[in-house]
Amino acid sequence: MSALLTALLVVPFAGAILAGVLRSERAGTYAATGAALVTFLLTLPLPIGRGEGMWHEADTAWVPGLGLRYHLGVDGISYPLIVLTALLTLLCCAYTIWHAPAGRPSGARLAALLLVIEVGLLGVFLSLDLVLFFIAFEVVLLPMYAVIAGWGGEARQRAARKFALYTLFGSVLLLIGVLGVGISAGTFDIVALTQNPSLARSTQIGFFIVLAIAFAVKAPLWPLHTWLPDAHTEAPTVGSVILAGVLLKMGTYGIIRVGLGVLPEGARAVAPALGILAVAAIIIGSLVCLAQKELKRLIAYSSVGHMGFVLLGVAAGAVSGGLAQSMGVQAALLGNIAHGVITGLLFFLAGAIKDRTHTGSLDDLGGLRETAPAMAGVLGFAALASLGLPGLAGFWGEAFAVVAAVQLGGGWIALAAIAAFGAALTAAYLLRLLRRVTHGPAASSVTGIAGVTAAERLAWSPLVLLALVLGLVPALVSGVAQ
Amino acid sequence: MPVELAYLLPIVPAACGLLGLLMPRSNRRIGAALGVTGASVALAVAVVLLATFQETVEKYFTWVRLGSIDVTFGVLIDRRALFVALAVGVVALAVQVYSIGYLAGDEHYGPYAAQVSIFTAAMLAVVVGNDLILVLAGWEVMGACSYLLIAHDRTLPEAPAAAVKAFLVTRVGDVGFLLGIALLGVAAGSFRISEIFVALPGMSGTTVTAAALLLLAGVAGKSAQFPLHTWLPDAMAGPTPISALIHAATMVAAGVYVVARLFPVFQAAPVALTVLGVMAAITLLLGALAATAQDDIKRVLAWSTVSQLGYMTGALAVGATTPAIFHLLTHAAFKALLFLAAGCVIHAVGTNLMSRMGGLRRTLPVTFWSMTIGLAALAGVPPLAGFWSKEAILLAAEHGTGGTAVLVYVAGLAGTFITAWYATRLWLKVFFGPGYNDHVHAPGSVMQAPVALLAVPSAGLGLGIYLADQEIVELDAVALLPVGLMLLGILAAWWGWRRSGDPAAVLGRMQPFLAAAFRLDDVQDALVVRPFTRLAALTRVADESGVDGVVTGVGTGTVALGGSLTRWHRSGVPRALAGVLVVAAASVVIFALNGLLR
Amino acid sequence: MIDHIGLLPVYLAAGTAVLVFLADLAVARTSVTLAVGVLGAVGTAASAVAVRVQPPHRAFCVESGCSWVYDRPAQLLAVAVAVLTAAVLLLSAPTLRLGQIPAGEYAFLLTASMTGGVALAGARDMITLIVALETLTLPLYVLVGLRRTSAESAQAAVTFLLTSVAATAVTLLGAALMYAASGEVHLSALASALDVSGPARPLAGAGLLLVVVGLAFKVAAVPAHAWAPTTYDGAPLPIAAYLSTASKLGGLFAIVYVAVLGGVAWWGVLGPALGILAAATLVVGTLVALRQRRMVRLLAWSSVAQAGFMLAPLSALAVARPSGLVGATLAYGLIYVTVEIAAFAGVIALRPPGEDGGTLTDYAGLGRSAPWRSGAFAFAAIGLAGLPPALAGLFAKVFVVRALVNAQAWVVVAAVALAAIAGLAVYLRAVVPLYRSDADVPGWILSPVSPAVVVVLAVATLLAIAAGFAPQLILDLTQ
Repeated sequence: MSALLTALLVVPFAGAILAGVLRSERAGTYAATGAALVTFLLTLPLPIGRGEGMWHEADTAWVPGLGLRYHLGVDGISYPLIVLTALLTLLCCAYTIWHAPAGRPSGARLAALLLVIEVGLLGVFLSLDLVLFFIAFEVVLLPMYAVIAGWGGEARQRAARKFALYTLFGSVLLLIGVLGVGISAGTFDIVALTQNPSLARSTQIGFFIVLAIAFAVKAPLWPLHTWLPDAHTEAPTVGSVILAGVLLKMGTYGIIRVGLGVLPEGARAVAPALGILAVAAIIIGSLVCLAQKELKRLIAYSSVGHMGFVLLGVAAGAVSGGLAQSMGVQAALLGNIAHGVITGLLFFLAGAIKDRTHTGSLDDLGGLRETAPAMAGVLGFAALASLGLPGLAGFWGEAFAVVAAVQLGGGWIALAAIAAFGAALTAAYLLRLLRRVTHGPAASSVTGIAGVTAAERLAWSPLVLLALVLGLVPALVSGVAQ
Repeated sequence: MPVELAYLLPIVPAACGLLGLLMPRSNRRIGAALGVTGASVALAVAVVLLATFQETVEKYFTWVRLGSIDVTFGVLIDRRALFVALAVGVVALAVQVYSIGYLAGDEHYGPYAAQVSIFTAAMLAVVVGNDLILVLAGWEVMGACSYLLIAHDRTLPEAPAAAVKAFLVTRVGDVGFLLGIALLGVAAGSFRISEIFVALPGMSGTTVTAAALLLLAGVAGKSAQFPLHTWLPDAMAGPTPISALIHAATMVAAGVYVVARLFPVFQAAPVALTVLGVMAAITLLLGALAATAQDDIKRVLAWSTVSQLGYMTGALAVGATTPAIFHLLTHAAFKALLFLAAGCVIHAVGTNLMSRMGGLRRTLPVTFWSMTIGLAALAGVPPLAGFWSKEAILLAAEHGTGGTAVLVYVAGLAGTFITAWYATRLWLKVFFGPGYNDHVHAPGSVMQAPVALLAVPSAGLGLGIYLADQEIVELDAVALLPVGLMLLGILAAWWGWRRSGDPAAVLGRMQPFLAAAFRLDDVQDALVVRPFTRLAALTRVADESGVDGVVTGVGTGTVALGGSLTRWHRSGVPRALAGVLVVAAASVVIFALNGLLR
Repeated sequence: MIDHIGLLPVYLAAGTAVLVFLADLAVARTSVTLAVGVLGAVGTAASAVAVRVQPPHRAFCVESGCSWVYDRPAQLLAVAVAVLTAAVLLLSAPTLRLGQIPAGEYAFLLTASMTGGVALAGARDMITLIVALETLTLPLYVLVGLRRTSAESAQAAVTFLLTSVAATAVTLLGAALMYAASGEVHLSALASALDVSGPARPLAGAGLLLVVVGLAFKVAAVPAHAWAPTTYDGAPLPIAAYLSTASKLGGLFAIVYVAVLGGVAWWGVLGPALGILAAATLVVGTLVALRQRRMVRLLAWSSVAQAGFMLAPLSALAVARPSGLVGATLAYGLIYVTVEIAAFAGVIALRPPGEDGGTLTDYAGLGRSAPWRSGAFAFAAIGLAGLPPALAGLFAKVFVVRALVNAQAWVVVAAVALAAIAGLAVYLRAVVPLYRSDADVPGWILSPVSPAVVVVLAVATLLAIAAGFAPQLILDLTQ
């Protein structure tokens, strides 16, 4: 099994190299998709023989001089994210086979970069060594930059640079934080640190703040979010899907695994501030969406709001303690996965619409359900899921982040109330979106556009299905975490 | 007969609905089959259960465990739940059948029928659900379905706006609903209704009161209580059968039903009941008065629904849950009838406006008679259904103690007069007088049959239940007062019609104001909608130029600093020398001083 | 009695210089001259590896200490300088083929400079150290000016000469003051002897500080950094590569020797002083690099910033175990020279023979027509930025930050962080043009590259990759 963990990193990496060197465009994309498929299949047997704590581990020394170990492991907290990463990468690679961006560097290169990103993401979700975690965190940076800068829209260079520098700022803080924690605790082993957090409270608080900022940039938590809208607006469809679907999750996962796990005292002390910021993110993100005029920008800002819910859950979990056993953290995990699935789907749709109409401006769109009813239907479904409709994936994370906050009583109830109101605002802007895009008479831009293609149906249907199944059987995520 | 059967109530229509959404929209036959199957299975199950179970039974399994709390999925059925489920089944089936004819030639029929099925399933989940989270799920899914169905008609420009309004207003109420549920669930350590009732005595007064008030917000949203009633009349933009569904057995009924189901919670929070009573009285009169001035036949019925909901919540406010549900059921019958009949009329004459109708009693006999029964039941003409339930409510209010009871009673009495008045007005304007409509195409049997069938409960349901259970209404002298007021109302309307052809003429300059329902929409727009849109625009600017401005500022600042440093280094040689020598000299001096100071 | 085994690398280095000279006289063919030089350099490296360091060979010993000690650091520097010289000689092949530059002088001067570097490796007294350092530097005055045709070349030479002279003067002054204060020249003796009291004390401190400031010139650290861009840009590309690798590494070792071995008594002063120098170097180098439009100037300024990274750990001398700090410094230095030589090799491979670095726009779109060369260059640049996939660079940064965090030198950490972030922007400026899709590509790029250059580029890149996967090797070398 431990070999399996390594394979999860090696296979996509090999696939990336293969896709990069292969001369033929087609062969490259197929190779990449094949590698992504194998990786996805490799994630499926992981739960076999799982028990308490870590299911499987791989642990060998790498750089003794640094105390850095090649220490991988999977448990209920990371497993759903691992599967989601593998799935979305697979869908995106398959998508590039049919939708090679026109007039741009080859789709094979794009697929290769996606696989490198997958290596980094899986590395983050798998690593149980603080320094290894940091390295994996960094691996994602430049490939994503290349994806945006190479295949993006008009202002791609600027957006890509902003993304790279802003998130690098977070990464540097992360490096300082993990080194500080590791040095003062004497080990970089996340498991050991989680089982007996030896650090003094004041030290924990200091390092937690550093790490929280580092992860908040990635998540992103208001007010450190402004790289996100630009990046999303310019990124190609698959880039946006990966970015929103799993890349942001590195931040939330990190704050749970490293922040809450390794520095529980610090987390508990800082939790109120975290909660307030989370609620601010929910409200502000929703309000900005209400006034947003660009399709992808709107969805990007909606991520700010949704991540706010996730971080509210995290904050609640930090106070109540008990990591994966606490309602807050479980709500956060559910929200994480749900947001990955739903926003991934939304960005696929936004990309499909922009490819066809060549505009993302809500003023120029309208009446989509007259000309492309199927697409409008899926868009409506995704929007309903995103606004947290019960029975669909979005509900559990958001509703129970609120419940978890209520459980804490006192000022947290006020936060819960504001967050719940934010859910109403969420509905407001998503309905506004639907009304502008799908309802009304058909605008000139949407008349005579092509219907849903086979590739799109292939890429979307798993996400649609997942959004429904996770809504009906949330235990799929929260069950494995316990 | 196993109680697990009750699981089928929500699950079968839901499954039919989901299947229907996947079916090719072109195929009407499958869509119709699925829709009718879902509704009729639900109806059959409800009947069987009614015949089988007298006592209260609960059956559930753990849905998901979150933190320390188990969320369960299951059913908690008692007589009340089953009766309401029965009503839902009947109306849903009627609507499904009726829609086959009403939406003939609509290429989006398939999804429509499926959405109706899901709507039904959601309502049934609210009715039989044992766990507040499950109830919440049904509660919100209903909102979504109403949104989808109200927006169904592509030809109406106002439909999308109305749909959004319906969803949003109720969703705002749901904020409170969710928080109320959270408070109760956290305090009880479980979301199961039975558990909550057990834990209720142990909860602090403030918690219960807060929870009850928060729940009321949700109730006001769904059951169109003032001030969250504004969405209901606009919802008329939806196809007529949808109006029937929303107004009769689902959506608006949900709020009333949930209050009755969770009544122990409200009993423990008298404040909440008082608030409910005031809300009820306002809603009752507001709806009735607004109904008097409408020209659109469906709007008359819509406002009458608002007013009738006022009766039900009023009953709940005075603690009379049984009369409330009684009225809920009778109202479900006759309001479904009225809407479907109105649909026939509209279908026949091709307009909603009563000013463009008249003299239809000859051309549409079936519709005429069934609508007559429906209107009479609405007005409370004995011995039709409405009479009994309304009497029950008024008697309960009369026997009730405290200001709330008085308020509800007075409002109720006034309501009977106005109700009779506008019912009569509608009746006269549509079916009597000169016929504007020369070429009337009569509706087919698929549309006629449900109407005719619904006429039976509209007429007999009240009497039937009275015969079944005498205690529900004890008729005495006081019971004559409403009847008298009702007759007065009818006469007044008739007199006004004879005088000017439209009873509403007596309203004079008040008419436009009443027609606009006291301009509450404008108030809502000015106090809520516009401020929020402005706030949103403001936030966007602040975020994009403020927060992001700092970020970009840092970037440009760094580059600028680099620029000035570059200029400083322009001429390499002198600077380089200067650099070295200055630092050298400086260090010498420092140390020299340092040495001398020793 | 003198231990000649320990001096073997120096003999070989010097011998190489003579051989190159004779070869040029005898055969006068560029390729032969270069071949001799390369072989000699490789031989020197081999011998430097071969000679035992445990226990170290000592030579020229008096009771107060030895002037020559061939220990682990010495071996490290000797090998590095020799290998780098070989690499630079190979990189020079296309330039020299054009015949504008006399191959003989060129190779001779370069190998002579190498001799200075190897001698510096074992130097353990102030005089030997300064002499060796000057032997390393002097030939470069000429080499920098060898592009006779270009005016920039002349300006470069002048700038280099003047600054160097000034710096040397400062160093000598410092050494003199130290001697005056302590009466010692051997570093081992100075360690204790500088701890004087009374009126001599300020002299000792000032002397030590002056030496460090003067040596800062060699690593192009603030305040003696301003010469680097002009000089690099004017010099032939291989010489620029040599300046930014071998010469810089020599200066770094010199500073380490003086500060760590000699300055024990003054760590409390040296640490903060070096910290200030490092922070200033990081900030200035990075920010100015942000605005450069010419490739070599950008690399030059960034190499200034890199010097800051190397010096940063020493700022904690007073508070933390010196071995760890020195280890971090040297490890960073090693990884830096590897990727830097790769970067320059990439530049040379992407430019027509004999040309200078050109502007950033000259590289537009080369990524498609020359994917491998561009890829290698991009990899090196990313390594300098310190990010994956170039793991070596990332580890280098981790070494430095770890040492600083360990010493809790938060101010320097902040400077390092800032430079790391802005640094990415710098190197992106260099890499992004390569992959612009809308540029028209010059024809010469398709003409084959000199195999010598390819070898260097490939070897350096492979070394960088290897170091990325096994950074422990680097750490072992520098302990």
